[in-house]
Amino acid sequence: MAGEMMTGNLAAAWGARLAGADYIPAFPITPQTEIVEALAKWCESGAMAARFVTMDSEHSMMTAAGAAAATGARVFTATSSQGLLYAIEVLYSISGWRAPLVLVNVSRALAAPITLEPDHNDVLAARDSGFLQIHAETCQEVVDSVLMAYRIAEDERVMLPVIVNLDGFYLSFTREPVILPTPEQVAQFLPPFRPAHLGFKASAPHALGVAVLGGTPYSYFRHQMHLAAMNALEVHRETAAAFEQLFGRRYDVIEGYRLDDAEDVLVMSNAFASRGKVAVDAARGEGRRVGLLRLRMIRPWPADAIREALRGRRGVAVLDQNLAPGQGGILFQEIAACLYGEAVQPRALCSFIGGLGGKNLSEGEFRTIFDQTAEAAAREQGIGPILLYTEPEHREMTQLQMLATTQGDVKREP
Amino acid sequence: MRAVRFHGRGGQGAKTASRILGTAAFLEGFVAQDSPIYGAERRGAPVAAYTRIAKEPILERGLIIHPDLVVVADASLIHDPAARVLEGIDERTAVFVNSPLTGEQLRTQTSLPGRLTTLDLTEISVREFGKRGALSALLGAVAGRLVGLRQDSLGQAIARELADLSLAASVIERNQAVALNCYDAVRPVSVEAGASQPILPAQLQPPTYEPPTRGTARISAAANSVLRETGGWRTFRPVLVPDKCNGCWLCFVYCPDGVISMTKDDKPLIDYDHCKGCQICVHECPTDALVAEREKEGGVAWRAK
Repeated sequence: MAGEMMTGNLAAAWGARLAGADYIPAFPITPQTEIVEALAKWCESGAMAARFVTMDSEHSMMTAAGAAAATGARVFTATSSQGLLYAIEVLYSISGWRAPLVLVNVSRALAAPITLEPDHNDVLAARDSGFLQIHAETCQEVVDSVLMAYRIAEDERVMLPVIVNLDGFYLSFTREPVILPTPEQVAQFLPPFRPAHLGFKASAPHALGVAVLGGTPYSYFRHQMHLAAMNALEVHRETAAAFEQLFGRRYDVIEGYRLDDAEDVLVMSNAFASRGKVAVDAARGEGRRVGLLRLRMIRPWPADAIREALRGRRGVAVLDQNLAPGQGGILFQEIAACLYGEAVQPRALCSFIGGLGGKNLSEGEFRTIFDQTAEAAAREQGIGPILLYTEPEHREMTQLQMLATTQGDVKREP
Repeated sequence: MRAVRFHGRGGQGAKTASRILGTAAFLEGFVAQDSPIYGAERRGAPVAAYTRIAKEPILERGLIIHPDLVVVADASLIHDPAARVLEGIDERTAVFVNSPLTGEQLRTQTSLPGRLTTLDLTEISVREFGKRGALSALLGAVAGRLVGLRQDSLGQAIARELADLSLAASVIERNQAVALNCYDAVRPVSVEAGASQPILPAQLQPPTYEPPTRGTARISAAANSVLRETGGWRTFRPVLVPDKCNGCWLCFVYCPDGVISMTKDDKPLIDYDHCKGCQICVHECPTDALVAEREKEGGVAWRAK
């Protein structure tokens, strides 16, 4: 097979290297650290001409990243989980400066309780920050998405920063074959970064993100960010076409898998979508007409493409690998909102929560989703949110609870 | 309902005046609501505050666009477009201005519409308190008189609101006494509930996308702050007494706005177009060579030092 074996983290680092990033502020956090380690090594060896700086926190890291982008440098950085949340205040400033850097987030579930494995509450906390979001399923898609992200971000019609998301462990530490574009190809795809509104010249000082009071200028600038984000749908379409022409791989804002004649559709995102596709294949093998819709671009929200893909379906199941306490699945809400008002609605819109903290999604769980969605469609009544949590998992949890409350001096059976 | 809008400069007490009025109305059994709005908290910057008084629950909030009474703590605000003193004032609006001029004199000078009444609260404050201070109690009492509140409730409201600011009991008592004198001294004009305004649907014009050079919160014009004259923020101006100046440059160092330059013979030169009147230079001058003089229509009337 073509390409070479590499982790999702290394693929992300290659994205930054091929894009010719000028500046990389860094702070380590599992499961992202391998990205900045690779970049540090390349900057040290001279393989990359970027300036690599280790910072004292993610907050400082994002501040440095935004400030550098505001000077007109092409900036790359990466974080994960708590690190993203620590930096989140700065994300809003960077998007407000319209400084189009690329941030890779390696999804890891949020504390407390603390864990290292993925779910998407971290990256979705940045959902409304003004950063665009592209969520990757494979290591190949990671490197390709970083390159596409720069081209979209730096387009005059957009000029917004982008988060490229990949799942911790299931992509970050997972090796699979990746075809690396050549620098010559990338040079054709990605023009130099020459922003008209950013830059650094001692003779021409300018102020970004100035104070505005009274609401009128504030409303204008925030609305400009919304228009810019919406423009990214068209810019993504053009970028995907150019990318396909040069590299032969095609990425749209959503990906349909065996949707053509599907009655019921499972909506999901990120690395576990691969497992979802396997489950679709298995169900298809038994004659079930099911398909999968993978959400790739989360911001801007590709409402029209989603409506188009879900039009005329019998049942729709949204599998959220996140949980908003007191509400349910985050992406379920967005799917429901964009289907509301459609002339023909799915007979049942179902919400499932699974894979929290990296919990496995088994074939049996996917089968349960298909079964329950078909039944809900027959009843014409949506269900959920339903937590995917199996009997053996429940037994395991009960045992852990027993251990957590058992004193050390209790007599043990021989 | 009566809608009262206060305009002042940061530090003059417009916000507290709006609270005194609100509390007094509340004590008399009315439903009241008071709220301020201001930018970065700076002495001298325009401040507005709103008090609504009614017999029924108040369902409005925020800005008062069509006030029944406008209380202006500083006449220099009238022509500052940023302060929007004139907004929504028509011939039936009652307007009180803290000014040594009469209502008629003020009308010819400022083309203010409305039923004008004035009193020189700054002069009274300086005379009675012996120093420049906030006018909150005086403004609150005058506003209370104009909307028809009682002396006792205003006195009580002044005590409550000034105690909230941790002022000494003796200072509060003095404020109550002087404020009630102002209550008696101000010439009343009638404050009527405004006629309801016709409501037309807003004509929406959402902006379209513009390139980031225009669409980003960004200022690329260098050194343009000189275009915004802030001299109007002053209620008092620092003035040099050349004989006393020892040329130490301390005023130059302390000026937070960089409006003091030094001459070749080490004397300060003050840029009055931009001096905001904070008086830090007056406070820091070791030889009392800088004195505060009141800004007033028709020339300087009083010296602080």
